[in-house]
Amino acid sequence: MNESLRMVVVLAIIGMVSAGILSVVYGTTSVIIEENAARALESAVYEVLPGTASVEIIRRQANELRVDDPKEMREAEQETTLIYQGLDAQGNVLGYAFVGEANGYGGVIRLLVGVDEATDQILNVKVLSHSETPGLGDRIEGEGFRNRFVGKTVEDPITIGQDIDNLSGATVSATAATDAIRRGLSEALAAYRGGE
Amino acid sequence: MWKDFVRGLWADNPTFRLNIGLCPVLAVTVSALNGLSMGLATTLVLICSSALISLLKNLIPAKVRIPAFIIVIATFVTIVDLVMHAYLPDLHSVLGLFIPLIVVNCIVLGRAEAFAAKHSVLRSAVDGIGMGLGFTWALTLLGAIRELLGSGSLFGMALLPEGATTLGIMSLPPGAFITLGLLMAMMNMITARQKKTAS
Repeated sequence: MNESLRMVVVLAIIGMVSAGILSVVYGTTSVIIEENAARALESAVYEVLPGTASVEIIRRQANELRVDDPKEMREAEQETTLIYQGLDAQGNVLGYAFVGEANGYGGVIRLLVGVDEATDQILNVKVLSHSETPGLGDRIEGEGFRNRFVGKTVEDPITIGQDIDNLSGATVSATAATDAIRRGLSEALAAYRGGE
Repeated sequence: MWKDFVRGLWADNPTFRLNIGLCPVLAVTVSALNGLSMGLATTLVLICSSALISLLKNLIPAKVRIPAFIIVIATFVTIVDLVMHAYLPDLHSVLGLFIPLIVVNCIVLGRAEAFAAKHSVLRSAVDGIGMGLGFTWALTLLGAIRELLGSGSLFGMALLPEGATTLGIMSLPPGAFITLGLLMAMMNMITARQKKTAS
């Protein structure tokens, strides 16, 4: 076999074997990865809505769905606001939770915010994922910071420097988390109440 | 064989002596557990890729050996990444960004090129274990020192009382450089002493 042909054949075989192995590994792991993510989110709902016994997922579309156009379907899917409704053991609605996102210092900060059904006040906040600086920005995970949002409603400014105290040395992270909560709260409230 | 193993641990330690693959060393060693996990993930990739490359060394034409090695390494790294994401999601959320970067870690390609491509499968695997563990202990030590000084804990367990003063800079990139520099100086000192007593 001539040399250049041999190079092509060997590389192609290595590439094909690699692709084959990876597609098998991806196929088995992607199911578990998605399950993990869904389970982590659901268990977080129990944390931000104290007393919750079961969780129901409510989908609210920003636009009417047109099922015949796959591109539009995808866009609509992205605009879907997922709201997690927490029910107690008797089936009464305790409140709802939503995911808020904003760009922090090191990447996207995702938080889950639980809101009281009767008063529309924030009950609890949990940071789902972030890539902020350890020791500085990651203090947004701490109780001391998260508790600053408890009791706030959509009527409050929820802005650093006004009704939320800053975290010294972590202004970008704290501002991003606050923005995510403020924006998410008004969107979630509109989606949740608007659909009734 | 024994020489192949211990070389990576001390005399040719990738972090302190060869000074290669320093990017993850500096980035992930914020805590001891991060360092340990990153080290073990790299070790696993290193063993598998060194063994396989040694097995394939006579089949791969010399001119395309680098792309071939990279494909082999990238395959193992992706497997580690996916498996970790599925079965160790908490760890993956911390290390996630750095796992794919093992592909371009010079230790892995360096050992493939410098060792596995010239030696038997068994010796290459042993070399991979030695180099990997050498990398692991370096990362764990660096992580432990930075975690202790920067966050007052070790392997996630708080050692200092709540509110104790910690050196925040140790958790930040400068802390990594400072710690690495001091550890390298210490290793050089120990080696120099050993040489003196030997001669």
